[in-house]
Amino acid sequence: MENLTHTPVPVDTRRSTLVWLALIAATLATWGLGEEGASGPTAVAALLAIAALKSRAVILDFMGLRHAPLLWKGIVLGWLALVCTLIALAYWKGMP
Amino acid sequence: MQYKSQAVAKPYFIAAIGLFLGQILFGLIMGLQYVIGDFLFPLIPFNVARMVHTNLLIVWLLFGFMGAAYYMIPEESETELFSPKLALALFWIFLVAGALTIVGYLAVPYATLAELTGNDILETMGREFLEQPLVTKIGIVIVALAFLFNITMTVLKGRKTSITVVLLLGLWGLAIFFLFSFYNPTNLVMDKFYWWWTVHLWVEGVWELILGALLAFVLIKVTGVDREVIEKWLYVIITLSLVTGLIGTGHHYYWIGTPEYWQWWGSVFSALEPIPFFAMTVFAFNMVNRRRREHPNKAATLWALGTGVMAFLGAGVWGFLHTLAPVNYYTHGTQITAAHGHMAFYGAYAMVVLCIISYAMPILRGRAANSNKAQVVEMWSFWLMTIAIVFITLFLTAAGILQVWLQRVSDTPLPFMVVQDKVALFYWMREWTGVVFLIGLVLYIASFFIKGEEKAA
Amino acid sequence: MEANVTLPLQKPVARHLPGDLAIWFFIAAELLAFCVFFAAYAFTRAKHVELFNAEQLTLDRNAGALNTILLLTASYFVVRAVQAAEAGLKDKVAPWLAAGFLCGSGFVAVKVTEYADKLGAGITLSTSPFYMFYLSLTFFHFMHVLLGLVILAILWFHARRGNYGPDNATAMNNLHSGASYWHMVDLVWIILFPLVYVLR
Repeated sequence: MENLTHTPVPVDTRRSTLVWLALIAATLATWGLGEEGASGPTAVAALLAIAALKSRAVILDFMGLRHAPLLWKGIVLGWLALVCTLIALAYWKGMP
Repeated sequence: MQYKSQAVAKPYFIAAIGLFLGQILFGLIMGLQYVIGDFLFPLIPFNVARMVHTNLLIVWLLFGFMGAAYYMIPEESETELFSPKLALALFWIFLVAGALTIVGYLAVPYATLAELTGNDILETMGREFLEQPLVTKIGIVIVALAFLFNITMTVLKGRKTSITVVLLLGLWGLAIFFLFSFYNPTNLVMDKFYWWWTVHLWVEGVWELILGALLAFVLIKVTGVDREVIEKWLYVIITLSLVTGLIGTGHHYYWIGTPEYWQWWGSVFSALEPIPFFAMTVFAFNMVNRRRREHPNKAATLWALGTGVMAFLGAGVWGFLHTLAPVNYYTHGTQITAAHGHMAFYGAYAMVVLCIISYAMPILRGRAANSNKAQVVEMWSFWLMTIAIVFITLFLTAAGILQVWLQRVSDTPLPFMVVQDKVALFYWMREWTGVVFLIGLVLYIASFFIKGEEKAA
Repeated sequence: MEANVTLPLQKPVARHLPGDLAIWFFIAAELLAFCVFFAAYAFTRAKHVELFNAEQLTLDRNAGALNTILLLTASYFVVRAVQAAEAGLKDKVAPWLAAGFLCGSGFVAVKVTEYADKLGAGITLSTSPFYMFYLSLTFFHFMHVLLGLVILAILWFHARRGNYGPDNATAMNNLHSGASYWHMVDLVWIILFPLVYVLR
């Protein structure tokens, strides 16, 4: 941390813009499913998958963990996997 | 010593150690009373021994914090203390008031003490840890405010560093939250609710800021690592402590008549309280590994590392053990709490005060570090006290688990006193380990008197 | 204050953390807190499915979706600010940060009207387990948005002075640290929105 030297990060604004647009589209999909009143295992799976993909994009592209040490990439992606698994498990448990 | 006025820290440190010795002696007395109920009765009843044991703990730590502030603030602010005379006057006022209070506890029955000291004017006595007579409480506030005035003025006229900012924040918080000890509503729920604002918000809130500042100061001094690096960690640690600690107050609100959501808020946030302590351990080891100099005071470095580890174990892990509402439902107010209390207070606060004393005392006495021989004895005292507290904690935990099982979980629960007899073996082991702790403390004190080849300041 | 010592040229490391280790420690702690809260919500729901399904319908899904878009866009703008700094376009950093700040403020405005609506309807933490979680989770997140905005404001202040560029390693480290924190706030909301507003 001390003795800092700047490590350049690859700059790809086009990719960032595309990711952003994809995230907006995914949000609209989530919103649409909500408007439809979608419920049940399929809807839960679809919504969780969308949320996971969105989160993954934010983690890798926006947070820039794609180029981070594997430990930290693993911690944050692992967190995402854990959260999604726990939510899925709880919804499965709450099924009639 | 860079500034003459830092010398006022010395009497504070000496008083702290003296009161620490008193605390341990009373701890041994009440530890024995756990197994021999009428030991020293009626001279020193159990409730009085307990009151003296816990009150002395608070008072010696306060002496330690004040001494630490008087030592650190001039050096950090790069200026002499605003008023060394005031600091010295406050020392005597605080010491005499503290001693009189203890004598009061021991000499007259508590109810008589309450009558004599005007408790009927404003009823504040009779609550755990806040047993002090009204006059003592008012005295504490006056001493605290004058002390804060003194060090704040010093900081204002000198250099401002992250360490002084965090330390001042912690000390001001300490004074402000103590004011809740004067608020004693007749509604028992409200009484308990605000009682924790002093008790919990001290040890799991603002004191952690003081702890962080003291540890960061010693680490900067003994490792020579860049201030910037240490400051960044300090900010992260105190933010985490404050967020988890403030909302974590909820773990006291499970069963006292407060709304149910506290079971969630309390469980979630207090479960995260170990994180800042874990960060502190990582931070301490990280800094020592990256040290840029070999400081001659090895003992102080050992205390600093020990503080991180033991605070994490005692406050973090042992706190987590019984902080979740469903667990606490069974463990509330058992020996599990006592186990946590012992290791947390020693690991976090006793050790950090011993750490700053270990670092500052030799300098206050005109040398960079004590002789090798003295340091070896001090390190022995470190290991004796630390291992003793680990075993005290383990024995109390065992007693607590047995107690929870026999008295609460069992299909045929036994009465409290019957269970106390059944766990007596653990109380005996705790008592003997307490004797080992006392030997460690005596060695610590002895290390100050060991001569030998000293390193120049 | 001890000055930073610059080492002779280090070999550039391929993999590195965007920002300071300390801030990532902080982010990890925050993520853990939210993880516990999410799990607590989901498992409590499993015990009161009908109650949660019914009361979820009283939430303003449009406001939730709009807020998601605002946070995502804020994050995107912050990414652009960092990229501008990386590319040495120092005068572009502050405007992008300001745009991000505005989107974040939009989130706050939407959220405040949402709270006003719910509190106006007499809903409190003690109303029901669902509302307890709704209020707790969103408010805890709300506090993070506020802290994130403070951080963005500080970054913006320094960006206006032209501090951020590849020539200043310490400043870049701070910029990356602040940006990472902001993205964390976004990340958590991406899970929170479907979980509390939509999943049934």
